[in-house]
Amino acid sequence: MSGSQSSLREANRAAVLDAVKRHGGLTQVELTGATGLSAATVSTIVKELVATELVAVRSTTRSGRRAQLVTLTHRLGLAAGVEIGHRRLRVALADASHDVLAEQVLPLPSEHRADTTLDRVALLVVELTERIGRELDEVVGVGVAVPAPVDPESGTVTAPGVLHGWDGVAVAQVLEKRIARPVFADNDANLGALAESAVGAAKDCYDALYVRVSHGTGAGIVLGGRVLHGVAGTAGEIGHVLVDPGGAICRCGSRGCLDTVVGGPAFLEPLRTSHGTLTLRDVVTRAVAGDPGCARVVADAGAVVGRVVADLATSVAPQRVVVGGELAETGDVLLAPLREALRRRALLDVPHPLDVVPAALGPRAELVGAIVLALQSTDLLPSAGIVPVDRPRAEHEASAGGRTS
Amino acid sequence: MSRDRTPLLALRQVVKRFGAVEALVGVDLEVRAGEVVALVGDNGAGKSTVAKIVAGVLTPDAGLVEIDGEPVTIGSPAAANRLGVATVFQDLALSENLDVTQNIFLGRELRTRQGFLRDLEMERVTRQILQTLTVRVPSVRTPLRTLSGGQRQAVAIARTLVGEPRVVVLDEPTAALSVAQTAEVLTHVQRLRDMGLGVILISHNMTDVRAVSDRIEVLRHGRNNGSFEATASHEAILAAITGAA
Repeated sequence: MSGSQSSLREANRAAVLDAVKRHGGLTQVELTGATGLSAATVSTIVKELVATELVAVRSTTRSGRRAQLVTLTHRLGLAAGVEIGHRRLRVALADASHDVLAEQVLPLPSEHRADTTLDRVALLVVELTERIGRELDEVVGVGVAVPAPVDPESGTVTAPGVLHGWDGVAVAQVLEKRIARPVFADNDANLGALAESAVGAAKDCYDALYVRVSHGTGAGIVLGGRVLHGVAGTAGEIGHVLVDPGGAICRCGSRGCLDTVVGGPAFLEPLRTSHGTLTLRDVVTRAVAGDPGCARVVADAGAVVGRVVADLATSVAPQRVVVGGELAETGDVLLAPLREALRRRALLDVPHPLDVVPAALGPRAELVGAIVLALQSTDLLPSAGIVPVDRPRAEHEASAGGRTS
Repeated sequence: MSRDRTPLLALRQVVKRFGAVEALVGVDLEVRAGEVVALVGDNGAGKSTVAKIVAGVLTPDAGLVEIDGEPVTIGSPAAANRLGVATVFQDLALSENLDVTQNIFLGRELRTRQGFLRDLEMERVTRQILQTLTVRVPSVRTPLRTLSGGQRQAVAIARTLVGEPRVVVLDEPTAALSVAQTAEVLTHVQRLRDMGLGVILISHNMTDVRAVSDRIEVLRHGRNNGSFEATASHEAILAAITGAA
């Protein structure tokens, strides 16, 4: 590679654009930190990019000081984010700065079918585009979060039995056929992890875990700033880690998976005698309102999930654990016993206790992740001449790296 | 969302005849606080007749209607309102030429002692109700004719809330709506449930019904033909509707 001035400037320009694209919007100071370039270089590059209308600059405040926020310009198109849940579907349209322009939630029946649901996804994307007065061809990409392992290359649900009626469904391909836009699918916990590491609570982390506790439990493993997928996208499927060797058979076919204890029907069953038939949403609302029975069930779930996360964290040694999903909306009801389970592992206390925080994006993490996936997967910036640039390590990351040795 | 054991509203062995035609033959139905009960069935199964009896439009020929476990007579729509039962019929009964607030207070406008309309107060209440339901309309003074089908349905639902009801009956609320509009209406149904109201949802659309209901009651030829939990399969419910089971 030639070391000429122009190719160096091109690489720096790409690094700045890449950082803005990854985080949606950054101040010039933050850009300096994210790219490792000098303040002067960042300032020059931002000026150039503003002149070519690739980015826009607006005033904002960071920790009480005035700052210049750099975002991608609106003319770069829209991204659609789709979150398919067990009982609801969420669709959002966002611009290149991750600003959500329109959003709609649709309650879904239990065990909903892939064909009907994907049909509705396509119609919702079209209707939302119309609602904000834009054209469908302005949508540069659609990201889809699916509550089952997905092969990120093909966008196909890989693990049989995990999501009833969705075995082997080529989510990305089916949707692409219906709306004729590029579609990218991934597992919901992986996308939650992507969102939290790009714009959320793990923004400053090199290695992090995102744990999603909802109708099922899943994890997204972020290593070196990238989400780990593993073979067939099944990495981080902690819902299918053995917790009870003599337990019930899981829908995946194994015995005693975490999912047979937390989140599913088995989780609601203990409340049936005292509380009648409740939905997961009811349990969360009531636990927040202080119902002791519902809080008990959520806390027990936190302890069980905590033990599984402790094993995973001991293997991976992340800088932070971010907890999301519907049960995380109960705050410390879930998080306190989960933290407690991690405290019991000696290695997770070195050099200081492992940080366990709620998702900064709250219940929107997966949806935002789907938007980030759509934006990162499509070439928004054809003229930028992107050269892959390794993300430099920030200071704290360099020091955290020494922790394991 | 407290789910008392006593139903807010119950029909016990209700019978309704139109001449020689038996529209309802001993129908039972219960709805509790914070519960969405769906009423499904083919055309002519008696769903709308049930709605009309509960709304006070029709009176049953036999059987009991109970509120809080006490037998009552719902002799007129006004009586239904007084008993805390509000119904939104399929035609919505809204006025195209009036705005959102005027529609919501149509026929029960707030007035000062001198007889002047208390416009600001009505706007305030409207705004508050739309907010509780998380309804998205441009303004409380937007003329109804400019609203979408889903927004109209929302205004019709909001209208029932002025009387602070405990049971809301929705007759085919998602018929002829687009997916985005259906999504809005179903979200409103969930809101009503979260507010602790009992909801009776009459619908043909099995996907919508299974998405928001706690219990699904099937009517067939004017008779109860099965009661299902929301997790029951589409096929099982369909079999009860068509009589295959």
